[in-house]
Amino acid sequence: MEKSPEKDLFSRTDISDEDVIAAMRKINGFLDITPGDFKEVYRFAFNHAINRVLSAKARDIMTKRVHTVRPDTPLKDVAATLSETGVAGVPVVDEGGMVEGIISEKDFLAKMGGEGRSFMGIIAECLQGKGCLAIPVRKQAARDIMSSPAITVGPDEALADIAGLFSTRKINRVPVVDEGGKLLGIVSRADVVKAFTDMGSAA
Amino acid sequence: MMGARYFAKMKGTTTSPPRVSLSEVAWSWIGAFLGIAAVAAINFNLLNGTDMVMVIGSFGASAVLLYGAIKSPLAQPRNLMGGHFFSAIIGVLCYKVLGSEMWLASATAVATAIAFMHITKTLHPPGGATALIAVIGSEKIHALGYLYSIVPAALGAAIMLLVALLVNNIPRTRRYPEFWG
Repeated sequence: MEKSPEKDLFSRTDISDEDVIAAMRKINGFLDITPGDFKEVYRFAFNHAINRVLSAKARDIMTKRVHTVRPDTPLKDVAATLSETGVAGVPVVDEGGMVEGIISEKDFLAKMGGEGRSFMGIIAECLQGKGCLAIPVRKQAARDIMSSPAITVGPDEALADIAGLFSTRKINRVPVVDEGGKLLGIVSRADVVKAFTDMGSAA
Repeated sequence: MMGARYFAKMKGTTTSPPRVSLSEVAWSWIGAFLGIAAVAAINFNLLNGTDMVMVIGSFGASAVLLYGAIKSPLAQPRNLMGGHFFSAIIGVLCYKVLGSEMWLASATAVATAIAFMHITKTLHPPGGATALIAVIGSEKIHALGYLYSIVPAALGAAIMLLVALLVNNIPRTRRYPEFWG
């Protein structure tokens, strides 16, 4: 146990004898366990719960009803879709449901050339009277600015690995595809957060 | 050094659990009084003058668990009944087979009872006393033979269990048992 990779997690979530005694006082009756033994049980149980959540598969946590666009969808319609659905990015799929790429706010910002390629960069340029930066992309379609090939995962990808992907690749959502590359669902950062809050409410 | 680590373990690592509330103390007293009253009254009034026994020393220990530590896994019906019954059989067997060497019969009875209770998930500390009493007990106990495992061991435990079920569930803050199986 001392050498386990979860040791860091342990120390951050550690409880003291005083915590356990305070909890034992709330429970009426004599509990036939020492605070020390209870802490040990708690640590293993907590670690088990964390591992249970981290080992959840993409298929368990993904959103199945995915908003998508086609490669030839005009960017004004892509922007409208993002705006109406309230999501920040959507997969670009062909007629067969195969994922060709992914298109998000970030791709728009990059092509609109705002300084620093951020939303506030665009605002800054607008306020400086340099005109509407969306003009250059008005005639283009999704395939022209989408990120391709998209980073995707299989349905059996573990939550822990998906979270790692978000962090290392600096992305916010990842399409879940079958072996043939066909779209099954999407996992967003919000889905990852939800997996943890669901763990809390299930307790 | 191995010796240092060995002796360091003897310092302990944690603290005693908190003291229970006064109402818990009161209900423990009431339960134990009624539970022992039931088996002792049968023993000293109904069975007086007969060869039968209904109270044995190990029931005092069972009362601690049944009425004083009712949440303990050791205090649950499975443990109470299995612990006394199996340990009694083992105790009688050890007395019959090893009775010529009383020290050996005593030690084998208690140690085997503990092992058997572990294996059957019926560990109940008073069971060790029930096994030992079968060996070191009075002539009256010895005369019972294997009947000792039914009366007093199993039947007496069942009477105390009935009292525990009736009394431990009266206060709003108490609930018994935690599990049956």
